[in-house]
Amino acid sequence: MAEEKKKVTRRRFGKAVAQAGAVAAAPLIASVPAAGQPPAQAPPGPAVGPVVVARAGLLDKIVFGGIGIRGRGMNDLRQLISDDRVQFVAIADVQESSREAVKSFVDGYYSNNDCQMYRDPADLLARQDIDALLIATSDRWHGPMAIWAAQAGKDMFCEKPASMSIMESYALADNVRRYGVVYQSGAQRKNQFAFEFAVGLARSGMLGRLLAVHADTAIGLGTVDEGGHGWWPEEKPEPDPLVVDWDKWLGPCLWRPWNSRYPAQGRGQFWDFHAGLLEWASHTVAMAQWAADMEYTEPVEYEPEGGEFRGDGLIGRYTIYCKYANGVQLVLRNHSWMGMGSCSNRFEGTEGWVETGDSGNIEVSPNLKSLVPTRTGVRLDPTTEHIREFIHSIRSRIPPRANAEVTAHTHVASHAAWIASQLNRKLTWDPAKRMFIGDEEANRMRSRAYREPWRLESLATCM
Amino acid sequence: MQAPGQTQQVPGAPGRGEAGRGAAGRGQAGAPAGGRGPAPKVPPEFDALPIWKMDAPKLIAMVKDPNSTLFQKAIACKKLSISGGREAIAPMAALLSHPQLGCYARFGMEPNPDPSVDEAFRAALPNLKGRLQVGVIHSIGFRKDAKALDALTRLMSDGDPEVAGAAAASVGMIGGLQAAKALQAALKTSKPPVFPVVARACLMCAEGLMANNRTRALELYTTLSATSMPKPVRLAALRVLNAAGPAPAGAKKWPAPTGAAADADTSGFLGRGRQNE
Repeated sequence: MAEEKKKVTRRRFGKAVAQAGAVAAAPLIASVPAAGQPPAQAPPGPAVGPVVVARAGLLDKIVFGGIGIRGRGMNDLRQLISDDRVQFVAIADVQESSREAVKSFVDGYYSNNDCQMYRDPADLLARQDIDALLIATSDRWHGPMAIWAAQAGKDMFCEKPASMSIMESYALADNVRRYGVVYQSGAQRKNQFAFEFAVGLARSGMLGRLLAVHADTAIGLGTVDEGGHGWWPEEKPEPDPLVVDWDKWLGPCLWRPWNSRYPAQGRGQFWDFHAGLLEWASHTVAMAQWAADMEYTEPVEYEPEGGEFRGDGLIGRYTIYCKYANGVQLVLRNHSWMGMGSCSNRFEGTEGWVETGDSGNIEVSPNLKSLVPTRTGVRLDPTTEHIREFIHSIRSRIPPRANAEVTAHTHVASHAAWIASQLNRKLTWDPAKRMFIGDEEANRMRSRAYREPWRLESLATCM
Repeated sequence: MQAPGQTQQVPGAPGRGEAGRGAAGRGQAGAPAGGRGPAPKVPPEFDALPIWKMDAPKLIAMVKDPNSTLFQKAIACKKLSISGGREAIAPMAALLSHPQLGCYARFGMEPNPDPSVDEAFRAALPNLKGRLQVGVIHSIGFRKDAKALDALTRLMSDGDPEVAGAAAASVGMIGGLQAAKALQAALKTSKPPVFPVVARACLMCAEGLMANNRTRALELYTTLSATSMPKPVRLAALRVLNAAGPAPAGAKKWPAPTGAAADADTSGFLGRGRQNE
């Protein structure tokens, strides 16, 4: 982290100084609270929330806070903070070391000491001067935190996977719609050229009648399977809540005794903390649904094949064959068969096919070769463009590509596939009724009860 | 599932049940399937898998057995969330007052469609306090148990704000006319930090009523559009009202543009004229 701070400070120092000068010189910006200003000192005026568009004028800064930023989230933060329209003012994290690392980075970038730290995200959400959020917690907190943010009237970018269950997916979309906020999930490939090109071919009709869309779920269930459904490492004395607030770290997940293994190595090893198949399906199924023009529904059939089932999940190579109501197939695999890099997709129709992945390479059927751009194979980080789209959406109030509704359907499809794989049987899904047909066990797996005192305020429940 | 003879028309299509042309075709290995590293060493007393493979009668016996460990009971409840029938409900309900296992009991009971789950939650409600009561209140709301509305309405004025807030949220999730009446009354009496929760619950309730009782729903939305409401709730209500139709006849109207600015605004841009007022 110190190295990150050093790099950014050197590279960005001049820019930060220039920005500070611009703030002093531009009267329109004076209405924006200074970075890190606590709520008590916020200037009088209309509270923020869904009216953020009124604050985010052409020259105004959009005031951001962050919740749970580490690892992947730091990459998001680097891109976000470098956008001139953004002022990042606060971080909330249940781990002291994480919130201090973010503060150090942000203060280093702005050359001040203003980034406020909070242990409880509720305190950050209560700040009236914060317009929008960067949420990059672990999987278990994505859904609840995004729903709270919506209820607080904040726009948000939230890392994937967006939810831990089918019902949480619907609850997310419902709350975002109800409160009229802008939501963008971390499906960054929606703003990466190679994927956009492949999706464009499918949606334009250049592939003929669409037959199948393939989604790589490579990491898949990962080490969740190795440890079984919910093993407990040895119990250790709980840490000081000021250092790691274990109760809030667990959040809506089932109680278990403390062990430092959880925050250190975390989510990937424990079913309770991990969205399993959605690790990559939240990316690749999103692209597949986009390509098939099925972003507002889900497949109606799910049939797992292969893999080694252990009663609580599956390991080894597996494929899940899904089918939309119009007959188009969605094929999920945890073995990357195309050599296109991670998160690969393949779309095939009666008149051609296209493949791409994180390598940036694009492969097409021979008849479509002339359409492939000359500069392929460039592995671009799509984060910058993705965040740029988010900022545009905050201003325009036009939902981004990875909006909550689209994200919810992507996640419902992926969760349904995962449930089919865990039960190791074919399932039939009714998108209108939001339930599996004739399979009570599968229907019971549509939700995960929240541990008290957390709750899912939603009209979308299993009942 | 796969339409015979269709996908095969496409060159290079990976066939069902085969690895396709990945590693062999392009010289790149596929991603490792099924793990990121060596499997952790799971202590046998904390290994969920043997419990996970048990049938429901054995799991129920494990939940009932006073000699079972916390871990055994916890995993048994998790598995019973999928496979437990009516006979699993009472043993799990007995754990609702357990500080650590209460959440596991709710996890096991909440998705079970048997109506006796609702009866068990209702029966537990007056016997619990604090967080454990909050948990059961939420499970009742999640299950939309309308028979619990009277009890939940009373709890909306509980001295513990977490309990009162949870009760309000559950009343909103259950919805219906009785819930609407209770929440509208609570809007007048509740105070922060419960008041914003009541307002959000009222918003959910209004949304639930829109399909079958639009008039009552719009009444609720109108109440929620007052300036005294939390801003996100107020704006949400206003958006619904705007979509529902024009403002009522008696609503406030802005005066027509007056004065020299309006008359002299030959540019056609009324906004520019207003700036001079």
